[in-house]
Amino acid sequence: MGQTSSEEFEQLALPLLDPLYNFARWLCGDSDEARDLVQETFAKALKGFGGFRRGTNFRAWIFRILRNTFLTSRSGLEKQQTGQEDENQFEEIAASGDTPELLLIRRAETELVQAAIGSLPLLFQEVILLADIEEMKYQEVADTLDIPIGTVMSRLARARKQVRKHILEGLSKKS
Amino acid sequence: MSCTWQPKISQYVDNELDAASQQEFSAHMRTCSECSAEVLKEVALRQTIRNAGKRFYAPPELRLAVQNRLHPRRRLMLVGGWATAAACMAMVALVFVFLYPRKSAPESPLAELVDQHVAALASQNPVDVVSTDRHTVKPWFQGKLAFAFNLPDLQNSPFTLLGGKVVYLHQEPGAELIYEIRKHKVSVFLFQTKGENRGPAKLDRRLSFTTASWEQGTLGCYLITDATNEEAGQLVLLFQQANRT
Repeated sequence: MGQTSSEEFEQLALPLLDPLYNFARWLCGDSDEARDLVQETFAKALKGFGGFRRGTNFRAWIFRILRNTFLTSRSGLEKQQTGQEDENQFEEIAASGDTPELLLIRRAETELVQAAIGSLPLLFQEVILLADIEEMKYQEVADTLDIPIGTVMSRLARARKQVRKHILEGLSKKS
Repeated sequence: MSCTWQPKISQYVDNELDAASQQEFSAHMRTCSECSAEVLKEVALRQTIRNAGKRFYAPPELRLAVQNRLHPRRRLMLVGGWATAAACMAMVALVFVFLYPRKSAPESPLAELVDQHVAALASQNPVDVVSTDRHTVKPWFQGKLAFAFNLPDLQNSPFTLLGGKVVYLHQEPGAELIYEIRKHKVSVFLFQTKGENRGPAKLDRRLSFTTASWEQGTLGCYLITDATNEEAGQLVLLFQQANRT
């Protein structure tokens, strides 16, 4: 890779270090693994930057590298197993219209929300991490995960409902 | 919820509807309390998730590792090829050899002894033989160390002997004597040496402590204290007089 290309990569990739680490840390659940995953992602991305098509979405490209690297790791494989089982049992949850949800959700403690995100199966966790935390558009999430937009929307809806349910249940247990 | 816009709420909050539909939905919300309440809930949920989810930041060592991975190529290019890089490395090696000869010499044991002095001060039992009498302390070391030494007579001096204990430096046993002057503690360490570095005592100030090191015969002596240089020098002199051969 030439110097210009290397500089271009640096300009595109370095601002994404924190978001990539955050994503990796959520996926791995372990700081050492997350560090290794991000380093491996940067190494692969740097090596493969020649094949990156200019004008396409770099963020989706490098997040996809990280996600695919994670999926082939041991903890990634383990998490997929868990996620697969849970996906089949992941039922639609009716929003409880009688509760003053808005106030409750706003009052939810950070730990409770983090536990809710952490409890999601991989397939749902990754869409919520990319769409709600990284604020990616549906298309960008679809590009990153290599799934149709419709799947992004349905997984996102179910993931949010699950998080909402977890928060409300957590709050009702406390009160 | 019965409103026909209901299936579009998530897309509206995510700003994923086309521009015309976004505007239409905004107008609709002014007249639909159900939708506006649902939108508020959705917005609150997204904000809550976002705030809680941005939880981890790349640790400094990861940032450094990534930057190092990105930069080595550039550093070599800046110096203009392998020949220049090799010349630079040779120059760095020469500078290292000539400007920092002490680095290649055996490290002074003073840093380690300062640690031992601090550890002794922090201990509830800083000495194993507790006595202000040198005629009690000195015989206590007999049979414990393979060398002999004399302790100074402290009459008419500001120092008080508190006691002593056996210590180890580089796996070699030695003696630590602890003295007191104006509530300041002084450790004097004695070890057996080959007697190759004779000369005047070297006083130094390191790590907030006054240190002194000297050799007499085959006795390697080190002093560590937070008392003044003058007071340290005074005790050094007393030890040198006591161990004059």
